Amino acid sequence: MMFNTILAAFLAVSAGLTATPQPGTPSGSEGVKAGVSPASKAVSDAAAFTAFKAKIVYLGNGTSLENGVVLVQDGIIVKVGKDLEIPAGAGIVDHDGALSAGLIALHSNDGAGGELNDTTRTVMPDAEARFAFDPKHPELREALEAGITSIVLCPSSSRLIGGQTAVVKTSGGVIVKPNAQLSLGLSSAALSYNEFPTSYSGALGELNAQFSDPKGAVSRAVAGSLPVLMDVNDRAETMRAIAFAKKYKLRGAMYGSYWAEDVVVAIKESGFDVICTPFDVGDNQRGARSVAALAAAGVRIGFGLDSPARHPASLRFGAAMCVRQGLAADSARKALTGDAADIVGAGNRIGKIARGSDADIVLWSGDPVALSSSIKAVYIEGKQVFGGSK
Amino acid sequence: MRPQATILALASLACVTHLPTLGWASLAGTTPLVTEDEDQACAELPTYVLRAEKLVVRPGKVLENVSVLVRGGEIVLISPEIPLPEGATEIKGKVVCASFMDPWSALGVDSNVLNDKSLNEEARVSDALNLYSGDFLRQQALEAGVTTARLQGGYRGSTGGLGAVVRLDPELDDPSTAVLLSDANLGMSVGLTVDSGARLVRGADGSLQFLSGDEPVDVFDRVSAIDKLISKLESGAAYRQAELEYAHKLDEWNKEIAEQTKKLEGDYKKAKKSRDKDVKEAEEKGKEFKEKKYKESRKPKQPKQDDGKAALASVAEGEIPLVVEVHRSSEIRNLLERTKSFGRLRLVIAGGSEALSSAKELAEREIPVIVWPALRGNSAQDEFASDDLSLAGVLAARGVPILLGTGGRGEDATRDLPLLAQMAIGHGLDPEVALRALTVDAARTFDMAGSIGTVELGKDADLLVLDGMPLMPGTNIEHVFCGGRLAVSNKN
Repeated sequence: MMFNTILAAFLAVSAGLTATPQPGTPSGSEGVKAGVSPASKAVSDAAAFTAFKAKIVYLGNGTSLENGVVLVQDGIIVKVGKDLEIPAGAGIVDHDGALSAGLIALHSNDGAGGELNDTTRTVMPDAEARFAFDPKHPELREALEAGITSIVLCPSSSRLIGGQTAVVKTSGGVIVKPNAQLSLGLSSAALSYNEFPTSYSGALGELNAQFSDPKGAVSRAVAGSLPVLMDVNDRAETMRAIAFAKKYKLRGAMYGSYWAEDVVVAIKESGFDVICTPFDVGDNQRGARSVAALAAAGVRIGFGLDSPARHPASLRFGAAMCVRQGLAADSARKALTGDAADIVGAGNRIGKIARGSDADIVLWSGDPVALSSSIKAVYIEGKQVFGGSK
Repeated sequence: MRPQATILALASLACVTHLPTLGWASLAGTTPLVTEDEDQACAELPTYVLRAEKLVVRPGKVLENVSVLVRGGEIVLISPEIPLPEGATEIKGKVVCASFMDPWSALGVDSNVLNDKSLNEEARVSDALNLYSGDFLRQQALEAGVTTARLQGGYRGSTGGLGAVVRLDPELDDPSTAVLLSDANLGMSVGLTVDSGARLVRGADGSLQFLSGDEPVDVFDRVSAIDKLISKLESGAAYRQAELEYAHKLDEWNKEIAEQTKKLEGDYKKAKKSRDKDVKEAEEKGKEFKEKKYKESRKPKQPKQDDGKAALASVAEGEIPLVVEVHRSSEIRNLLERTKSFGRLRLVIAGGSEALSSAKELAEREIPVIVWPALRGNSAQDEFASDDLSLAGVLAARGVPILLGTGGRGEDATRDLPLLAQMAIGHGLDPEVALRALTVDAARTFDMAGSIGTVELGKDADLLVLDGMPLMPGTNIEHVFCGGRLAVSNKN
């Protein structure tokens, strides 16, 4: 990790894409605290500004801005626009390419060191994935280099009630949202041949018992303050999950999309978001077609990753496969950023290039959903953590 | 050496010879362009005129505003202006380029052959094709722009047998039309993790454990795998030597016999006289006449026919390339060192996850590496441990000839070759090199450059019509020609 920090520091000072403060401006905020005159205070504040200019800025909500400017102060986006006045003394990152919010990988195990699957019990609503998070794990670096700035750590799908997911950043050890969703295993993955539950009926029986007399995190899910993440696989599981959610007035997302094209209407009516399972080379095109159909029907979608078992580049690969099967590129970009953030209730902080959001920014050679685009630099909260001149 | 190829070459030649000389007169004239006795297969293919704003003849060579005349499955004319012949179909497009070839594929190969650990050098993957199943996969490959593939069997064994180049047209159910080359290469592998099945293993504490599935190859076995590979090549070279020696000796012997015969015939009268005299003398003396024994030198013995060794001989002599799947740097280094003595060997590295450490030598010896840019997670097999999506880009930057393939493990991966190529571009590969890898370089490596890989006169019409430059963001494929047949049309 020491090495990574040094590397990041090295990259930050290397030429090219890095911010270049105007000479003669004071750096740091020490001067402000010391109580200097208002004029010099303005200059000091300006030094904390960085202006990112890019040929095209993808805002994370499905729209984009040509020749946009993103003004960042203290790691937070303070202004986004076309012809922004850049404060004197601000650092400028002038990028001849595309800019987007950092990608968000829903459903990941990166940096959890295999601690997300407690095989001794199947019902543990109050287990929290954030406690498995090791911010210095090298897997996070790999995700970062694939343009992923936030991941959602999820308990294993093999547990009936696996616990609560956590939204974390891939650099800096930041936990964006400690209790994002309650993970429910409604797929066959939660069934075992020799341990409870061994059948769908048994699983549903136990879930009903837990949800009809809710305690702890389950009661928050029933009260609507904690969204659920329901793991499903085939059509029957999807319909069963929708019925279960309706019974307890649950809201949230379903993880699994392969057969969704046949049950699009039911999913749309349920109000649930869909998180796509990761895609691989040669996968049946039905999965990608289903994602396109869901998006066309107005279902909010995001992409799961299941890293480190999957390569972090699978995230964009999946998006590209879906685009090939008819998903609009705007929808794909939104699913990788803004919508993903909204699905886990962190849209006010990550996933968007908007005033008030964290400056988690990726600079691309071109469109992020085109696989031929390369990553030029990654910033988390305004700090460059990957990339440099090439 | 290559009966299949020869037959096909003759067939296509037959098609060409039936075409009248292409000039304005014949195009505008009323003479029927297809004669009655023309080969049926050729006659069935319609004529097309493709009008391209940009024609990518080969990566790096682009012509603007030209037309391409496709007749009988071939490109017969490329010119700025071609009037539309009667009955021909006109297709307009922004960009026309050669369609893609997957140089490392399993599409259409029976899975038992892919997993066969005991294939011999004479085994042909073309004998394991099932052209009736998986048509939807071939169709999807065509839709993605991939019209040809080199297939290889037996990746789980040390020998994969002879690879084949095939057309991925689902309409082609007959191997004689689908297989373009049945001995495209000989395939081998070194150091791959093998599926050892169920087995009992004695642990360090002496207890027996039941294991199943993949098992990494022991490091010493990997070294000896290269020894075996080299001794196979040597046996092939020796077989060829013995064949040549036999041919030479047979030639000498034939000459000797001819001379002897000539001499005997020339001396016939004299010899008869002398024999008659001897017979008479014997009669007079009441003795039995003994014929003089005719002595002839022994005919040289023909070496035992061995197809496997013949294939190895073709490899050792560079008549067909040798594709070795190898990943670890030590094994690549060892293989390069040991194959140096085979001056004519055309070595191709498949996979080459750690080939960067031998980049200099690979570049100097112009040994191509078929990079397989796959999405491997942390559970990938041992040999892929340092695999990285930037491999193609860094190798190419070091001057190593690279191709891009889908690994020959599963039938369904070939469809995604263009996505993998784009991913390699996104990780540093020059787009022009990527396009070359999918077209002309793949064709050239496997001796197909005479018919596919570029858009040139006399080449087969394996073409793409696109709305932008190939492999670039946002580009869509509008039409796909596979061997002259319009196999995909996404635009009315």
